[in-house]
Amino acid sequence: MFLTRSEYDRGVNTFSPEGRLFQVEYAIEAIKLGSTAIGISTNQGVVLAVEKRITSNLMEPTTIEKIVEVDKHIGCAVSGLIADSRTMIERARMECQNHWFVYNENMSVESCAQAVSNLAIQFGDSDDDGAAMSRPFGVAILFAGIDEKGPQLYHMDPSGTFVQFDAKAIGSGSEGAQQSLQEVYHRSMTLDEATTSALTILKQVMEEKLNSSNVEVMTMTPDKMFQMFSKEQVEEVIQGIFHVEHPLSLNTTGQKV
Amino acid sequence: MLQQKSTYTDYRNNAAIQHQFSPYADNGGSVVAIAGDDFVIVGADTRLSAGFSIYTREQNKLFRLSNTTVLGCSGCWCDTLTLTKILKSRMQMYQQEHNKTMSTTACAQMLSTMLYHKRFFPYYISNVLVGLDEDGKGCVYSYDPVGHCEKRTFRASGSAGALLQPLLDNQIGQKNMLNVKEEPVTKEKALSVIKDVFISAAERDIYTGDSILINIITKDDVKVETFQLRKD
Repeated sequence: MFLTRSEYDRGVNTFSPEGRLFQVEYAIEAIKLGSTAIGISTNQGVVLAVEKRITSNLMEPTTIEKIVEVDKHIGCAVSGLIADSRTMIERARMECQNHWFVYNENMSVESCAQAVSNLAIQFGDSDDDGAAMSRPFGVAILFAGIDEKGPQLYHMDPSGTFVQFDAKAIGSGSEGAQQSLQEVYHRSMTLDEATTSALTILKQVMEEKLNSSNVEVMTMTPDKMFQMFSKEQVEEVIQGIFHVEHPLSLNTTGQKV
Repeated sequence: MLQQKSTYTDYRNNAAIQHQFSPYADNGGSVVAIAGDDFVIVGADTRLSAGFSIYTREQNKLFRLSNTTVLGCSGCWCDTLTLTKILKSRMQMYQQEHNKTMSTTACAQMLSTMLYHKRFFPYYISNVLVGLDEDGKGCVYSYDPVGHCEKRTFRASGSAGALLQPLLDNQIGQKNMLNVKEEPVTKEKALSVIKDVFISAAERDIYTGDSILINIITKDDVKVETFQLRKD
């Protein structure tokens, strides 16, 4: 006789009779409330693009930081509970610095994801390191980086599972965006193509109208490493999308019509 | 204050008896390493001694850490055993955590941090780490007991280190010579110089002798050679 679901979805360290951890599953659900983030890995580098939800025009958009630098060669895009993500980013940065300190080399993207994963699954009982974490982190992370294997993109969810992707979308618009990525992605994609595609897809899934202050774009390339796009650079990409979508309205001044 | 018990009454005094434990031993030994463009050679004598006594005449002091990295140790033998044991397990853990073999440069940095972590109770070892770097070039890293690391192309360390380094400076570094043309050191030259300097060391240093074990590291393999020294 199975007990009802509600009796097993309270403790973070209790399996249901069907073998599920409901709190972890709910945490994964929580990501679907977060803002959309897209990552595309190409041979030339990785691009990350995220939506910033500007809920009030009195809000200062630049204070919303969803793409962060972990090390020169690794950047992250996050979706979900941003406060939780700070803790995870802190760990990622610490592990990267520690790896550099001990081994005098850049940490690989996979190892960095592994290190953050170790933190992500520490919910449940308390251990030697201190008190218990009351719940799983409500964050999904895209790791974009360059290591000895070249440009890499990893995705991690609240269960601490991390998988390498060619292209991945997280957040509220992820289902539609992932479908679009599937259609548009190919192995010989250039970084510029990927950047345009990422913003085009973001534009499709965003509720608000896409502009240079409600998205963040970052590229990770072997020669320039972590490069956050300036407002002007984002505008340039958006302009490009506009021309592709409205080829007849193309004018010589390059201004919007 | 304790009354000192002495059978010689003339020497009896009221001074405190001091009980001392010395945690370190100097078991001697020398390591010499020479790096070339695509190889590195390291040699260590095989005598393990303490004071005027010899523990063994056939002790290997070279430790294979990976296919391209070898560590040569001299000094306190028990510290060497512990350090190399920890090093080997750290190499294995790195392999398993990061799915790759630790490079010589990474190992060199790790050794430095490991030594410094025991800054106030150091391993009493003169370490020389040799290997091939990411480009396949030979490199030699030498350390002091608390982790200072120096990258060079040739190095003598251990009990006869101070005796041999000037010889290498001259023969390999071509220091204090007139009209020399700079040319990369060959494997044959490096090997013969290592044998020569050890012969000289065995003449003057009682902690170096018996024989030497030589590791010749190239991208293909690590060749092991022995060479006999005087055994008195």
